Formats: sequence, C-alpha cells, structure tokens
Amino acid sequence: MSAETSIPAVGFRGISKRFPGTVALNDVSFDVMPGACHGIMGENGAGKSTLGKILAGIHRPDEGSLLVEGVKRHFHSPLDAQRAGVAIVHQELSFCPNLSVAENICLSHLPSHGGRLDWPKLHERARFYLEQAGAECDVQEELGRLSTGQTQLVQIAAALATGAKILVMDEPTSSLSAMEAQGLVGLIARLRRNGATILYVSHRMDEIFRLCDVVTVMRDGQHVVTMPLAQTNEAELVRLMIGRSWQKMFPEHIDRAAGPERLRLEKFSSPGKFHDINFSIRSGEVLGVAGLVGSGRSEIALGIFGLDPKVSGRVVVDGAEAHPRSPRDAMKLGIGLVSEDRKGQGLVLGMECGENITLSSLDRLSRGGVIRGSSERGVIANFFEKLHVKAASSQVPAQTLSGGNQQKLVLAKWLARESRVLILDEPTRGVDIGAKGEIHRLIDELAAAGHAILMISSELPEVLNLSTRVIVMRGGRLVAELARAEATAEVVLKWMAGCGGETLSGSGQSAGCAPS
Amino acid sequence: MAIEPEPVVPLKHVVGFKRPRFKESGLMGVLLALGLFLSIFGGSLQVTNRDTSEVVKVNKFMRADNLDKLAKNTSFFAIMAVGATFVIITGGIDLSVGAVYCLAAVCGAMFLNRFGPHGAGAGAPAILVVPGAILVCLGAGALCGFINGLGVVCLRVHSFVITLGTMAIYRGIAFVMTKAQAYTDFPPQFTDGFVRREINWHGASLYPVPLAIMIGVTVFAWWYLKHSVTGRQIFAVGGNEQASLFSGLPVNWVKVKVYTFSGLAAGIAAMIMLGYYGSASSDAGKGYELDVIAAAVVGGASLAGGRGTALGALLGALIIQVINNGIIILNIDQNYSQIIIGAVIVLAVLLDRINNTLRERRMTRAARP
Repeated sequence: MSAETSIPAVGFRGISKRFPGTVALNDVSFDVMPGACHGIMGENGAGKSTLGKILAGIHRPDEGSLLVEGVKRHFHSPLDAQRAGVAIVHQELSFCPNLSVAENICLSHLPSHGGRLDWPKLHERARFYLEQAGAECDVQEELGRLSTGQTQLVQIAAALATGAKILVMDEPTSSLSAMEAQGLVGLIARLRRNGATILYVSHRMDEIFRLCDVVTVMRDGQHVVTMPLAQTNEAELVRLMIGRSWQKMFPEHIDRAAGPERLRLEKFSSPGKFHDINFSIRSGEVLGVAGLVGSGRSEIALGIFGLDPKVSGRVVVDGAEAHPRSPRDAMKLGIGLVSEDRKGQGLVLGMECGENITLSSLDRLSRGGVIRGSSERGVIANFFEKLHVKAASSQVPAQTLSGGNQQKLVLAKWLARESRVLILDEPTRGVDIGAKGEIHRLIDELAAAGHAILMISSELPEVLNLSTRVIVMRGGRLVAELARAEATAEVVLKWMAGCGGETLSGSGQSAGCAPS
Repeated sequence: MAIEPEPVVPLKHVVGFKRPRFKESGLMGVLLALGLFLSIFGGSLQVTNRDTSEVVKVNKFMRADNLDKLAKNTSFFAIMAVGATFVIITGGIDLSVGAVYCLAAVCGAMFLNRFGPHGAGAGAPAILVVPGAILVCLGAGALCGFINGLGVVCLRVHSFVITLGTMAIYRGIAFVMTKAQAYTDFPPQFTDGFVRREINWHGASLYPVPLAIMIGVTVFAWWYLKHSVTGRQIFAVGGNEQASLFSGLPVNWVKVKVYTFSGLAAGIAAMIMLGYYGSASSDAGKGYELDVIAAAVVGGASLAGGRGTALGALLGALIIQVINNGIIILNIDQNYSQIIIGAVIVLAVLLDRINNTLRERRMTRAARP
C-alpha cells in the first residue's frame, strides 16, 4: 500500500500554455499525491485555472507532459480526461440549461435500453449523486431554473457521477452561500475518505487553510512553491502570491487640492440592486468603492452609465441634474466606464488596437461622417505614447495584447473622448503584476490631472492605496464613507463583512460572518 | 517575472501604419485560376463577324460577348451581395433581398409602364422619366430595408425571423400590386438609352452600364466601410455589440442603416434588371436571397459578424457566376450545376477558416517569450 501511495496521482512536468498575447503557464512542474486535498493558489491571471483546465482535458498544453497515476496522458477532450478518472467542477462550464438536473448529471453516460432512455434509472442515479454532493433539488427540474449555488452543486454531483478519482474544483465556493460552502467542507472530507484526490483552485485564504493539506502557489504562470500548509502561514502565502510584500503607496494626487464637484448621487436607487446611495466625487479625487461581490458596487456603475432603466434618484453632473438613459447619454455627459468585463464590454477584440482607442470619439475625429485619417492617427499615436501601450503596432487586433495593455486601450478610449468622470470597475483584474503597478500610477496621474475617478475593486490594497476616500457597500447599501486616514484594512473589512463592532480573525476576505 | 512578451518597440514602429495584407488575394487567385482553366479547356467557337462577314474562331470563354454577359449576370448578385455584406458584418442576415428586389422592380415597372410609349404619361421628357424611375426603384428598396431595420431594432427579434417574414410580405405586396401580371412597354430612354446602352467593339455588341454600376457600388461601399464613421461602427457592432453599446455607439441606428443599405442595393439591382430586360413581374428574384448570401460568404464575410469586405462580395458573386458560365461552356449537364455551386460554397468557407486558424497560430507563436 505504501508503495502505491508514493506514485503521485497527478504529475505536471514542464507544462507550458500560450494564448494569443499571453503566456498562461510557463514550465510548471509539481506533483499531487493521492488522497490529498491540494490547494492551488494565486492571484487572478496567475494561471491556476488554466492548469486545472489542462488536467481536465479542456486545454491542451503546448509543451510538457501530464502524468495521471504515473501514466503519461494526452487528453484531447474532457471525455478523455473523464475516462482517465479526472473530472472538473468549474463555474464557467455551464451545462445544458434546457435539460433537467438528472439529464445533466448523467449526460456523458445516459442509461438506456437499446437507445431508449431509462428514466427511472436516470432519476435514481441522479438522486444518489445529488445526495452525495449535499444538494437538495428536484431531479426533474430544468437546470436553468436553479440558483447559481444549486447549479454548482449539480455540477459537483455530475463530476462525481463520472466516477472520477481526481476532482478539479475551480473556485467552487464563488457562488455558494455560507451554508452551502460549509456543506462543501463535509463533502470534501467524505470524498477523500473514499480515496479521491482533490485539486482545489482558489484564491481564498480561509478555505485553503480549512480544506487543504498541501498548497501550490502560482504567480504569473509560473510555479512558485509547493509545500504542506502546516509549514506556512497566511502572511507568507500572500507574500508568495504577490511576489513582494505589500508596501503602502502614497499617490501624488492626495497632496493636490480637489477641484469642483463633478458627480453627485442623491437617493440613487434601483430595486433589488442598491438603495439610497449618496456620494459625490470632486475633480482630482479617487473615490474607492469596497464591497463583496453582489454588494451592489458594479450595479451602481451600470446605473450611472445609463444601463439600468429602473434607477431612481438624482444624478448631478457638473452641477446640473442629468438623466443618462443610455451609455451614449452618459458619454455625452463626460462619463466613461471601464467595465469589469474587459473582453465582453470593453473592447472589440477583433478590431485593431488603434480603432478601439478612437471608437468613442469618431464623431470628433471626422468631418461630414468621414474619418480624418491624420487626426485619428495622431490621437492613436498620442495615447500609445502617453499610456505606454506595448503592442507590435497599433494595427494588430486588440486580442493579441496582454491584459494590462488591453486595459490601457479601454482607458485610452475614454481619455480620447475627454471624459472627466471615469468609473473604473476592477481596473486591474486579469492584469499581470508589472502592468498592475503601471495602471495604479496611471490612475494616480489621471486624478492629479483633474479627472474624477470612481474606482471599484475587490482588491483591498488597491482601494486603500489609491483612494482619497473610501466608501463601503454591503447588501446594496452604502454602509460607510471613510477618509483616507480612517480607512485601514481592518476597518474596511469589518464594514464589508457587516460584523458590526466585532473584530475579524485572520485576513481572509470572506470572513466567517456572512453578509446577511 | 515578466511573462508578457512585450518587446519595447521604437515609437515610429508602433505607430508605423504599414499597409495591411491584401485581404482578397485568395479570391483573386481562385478567380484567375478559374478563368485560365476555362480559357484553356473551354474550347472554341466559329463566329461570323457582323461587319466583315468573316468566319473566325474565338475562345468560348475569353470572348467579348461572353464576358459581357458574365458581367451583366454578376452585376445583380454582386450589388445585392455588397449590401448583404453590410448586414452580415453586423452579425445579422437579410433574407428579404430577393423580395425587396422584386418589389422595387415592380414599383419601377409600374412607373415606367405609365410613362411608356403606350402609357397614360407617354411622351414625358426623358430628363424626368429616367431619374424618376431610378428614384422609385432605389426609394422602394431603401424603404423596405429601413422597415427591416426598424423591425430588428424595435421588436428585438432576430433578423433571420424578421426578414423571413418581410420576405413573404414584400413579395405578397408585389403580387397584389401587379395582380400577377408582367409589366413591360417601358420608355426606350430608360432601357436602350440608359441601362441597355449598346457599344460596338470589334463586331460584338456590349452593354457596359450594368458593369459600370456594379463597380461604382463596390468602390463606394469599400470606401464607406473603410473611411466613414458609420463604416467603422458597423465593424464594431459586429465585432462586439455589447462593447459597442458600452462605448456609447448608436448601436440601433447603425443596425437600421445596414438594413437600409441592403434594401437600397436590392433597389439598384432591380433598376438594372428593369432596364436590361424591359419587364418585371412578381416572380422576379425568387430564391436570390440564398445566392446573394452565398456570394457574400464566399467573399469572406463571416456570419458571426465583424468580418467582410465589399470587394470580397463582388469577387464571391463573380466566382459563382464564372462557375455557372463554365458549366455551360464545358457542356456539363445543367442538372449538376447546383451540386457544384453548393460544394464551392462549403469549400470556400472551409478555406477561409483554415486561413484564420493559421493566422491565430501565428499570433500565438508571436506570444512566445
């Protein structure tokens, strides 16, 4: 028995994976021992999800090899991986929402008699695995009608139904309620007792410490370290993930006097999303918005930008009441939104970088509906230089650029339009460390140049470091407005989690007390 | 540490606007190969020269009147394909082009018939009749397209469904208007004097006007897509509609415009048809929508949106017509023509996709550290 356990369940050997414009994984090698719950940590864009997808047969590595139970494997599809005993639970991998829960769970091997579906057996099997996963829902319900949390549990059940010995869980708790997440702990313990090996991909510190016994830290597509959790602590893991200790940055704009008020919200509400929001931003200020996902922080941005038809309350731009009913209206008021979904909402990826920059300001760069080529080239060259956009040329498609440079294009688009109010939603999501610093400097420079900036971020250091003031959202309400000096990590986390006067233990972002 | 392969490039290279690779070179190659093949294997023909009564041997494909016929046959489809390409670039589809073509032709025919030699308005000056007819055809086409666009935007129904509906509606209107009879008897100023104006060239009668209009429309559309604000917005909406909305583009207005352009193109094609054949009925242009979409797709337009060119649409239409022509020249059984054309469409799209995969691979390789 002991000889068997010495063969790793999974071995990564020099795995590299490239996507257009980025290197997602670079020569990654480590082992996962059988029966372990192996945590994989890293910041957004560290390559941890890509690694999980390679193991599950969704992506194929460009270089390197994959050993599963000591045997070299080349997975060409998730089905190949399932046959080798590997399954993945992934939030973005949705099933068929038009089919029933039972059908989704047994999709890869539907029980049948000579081509006719065996419904009783299908339902029985589905119920069995749902119970294992700790989900309570009707197996005949259409999957699309379940909540995201329930859907995720169904996905776990489906992964179990493939008979997988090795289970990749990619951010499995991201859409689970506190109670469901608690159930997951029990589930993982049970799975391990039955001999399963679990790769647990997450960036949540508390979960990793609660569930895993070994952790691998990834950074910028590279393997940093694999070690038993007993030998480390949270501070060290954070340092390894970020690659440097978090130093306090003192942005330049803080020293400048703020200018006139640019944007004010009064009793800004949208049913079911956010309620009675009041704040104002002045020229030269960065107003940081802290809050958990679902606290209404991004919804406010969409509301200001004219994308929520149900908003009520007053929006005052430059002293005059405004009613942005579409992004076009908001744009004309001088508001620009750098959305959190850069690829879906920020850029036309197939178009040239330069064309993306001038997309919103074409009417200013044209005469009689005809684009003035020289003016356009001038603007593009100007912003390429100003924002240090790194691209082979301004004519390559935006999709070939790295995350950080893509983000600069989105920013440039609004700067080219001379937007004075910039709403930045997760400005450094999916951006590598180097570019992150650059974008932080850029935000500071823009504020110093007199832009009014509303910055929404789930990265607390970012909010605390860059903001002139910080507002905290919880459950759709603005619960605190803090001056820079008051806004320490401890205080902000307390407001975010809604624990009132209690102090929080540890530094986990999703602390034990669930927002109600 | 730095995983991004970001070579620091001197600024003059960064903004060096190198000319992009000629996108239609593949189509040009196919067309030349087809032409060469038909010239060599098409055989020759004994023809009597009208002026000298001399019997000469000419190439079946490479002869003036065959090429002229080819150009004329292509012109209807090419013009409509250019219009359809606008719609396809935005990620939509226009199934009603054949019906719009028919309705515009019928409107024009009724107008021309009224001012024809035996009509109520006979003897009206050409200076009014010809522009009037053009206006009626183009206006009817553009109006139909505009209605399509409004339907797509206001009802928020997929363009496939909207134009499937309007396809039947427009043809139905044409049918009701004409009471299923053909309209002929047009003023000669419009037919022989304008669209069917004949020139003699080495004993062959040629009709250059359809060809000229086709080239004019293509050149204008090429320029428009490349240099106008709307052209850029068309590509943006097709490339990523949500990002276009988030960038403050008038997405709905852009969509209405492309369907209007498509209808306008059908109106232009209808005008040429009226002038060339001198008659129209409610059967005109039946099934054209599929030929038109085929031409656009062969020409490199992507039904997923974001990609397509005016010249590509022209070349796509031309390739299909050359193959049609070749089938006749090579004496292949007419019944095979649909099989061949169908295979060519699939093949063209396949080649296009291989080309794209290769390009993507090149880009991935460029990301190597």
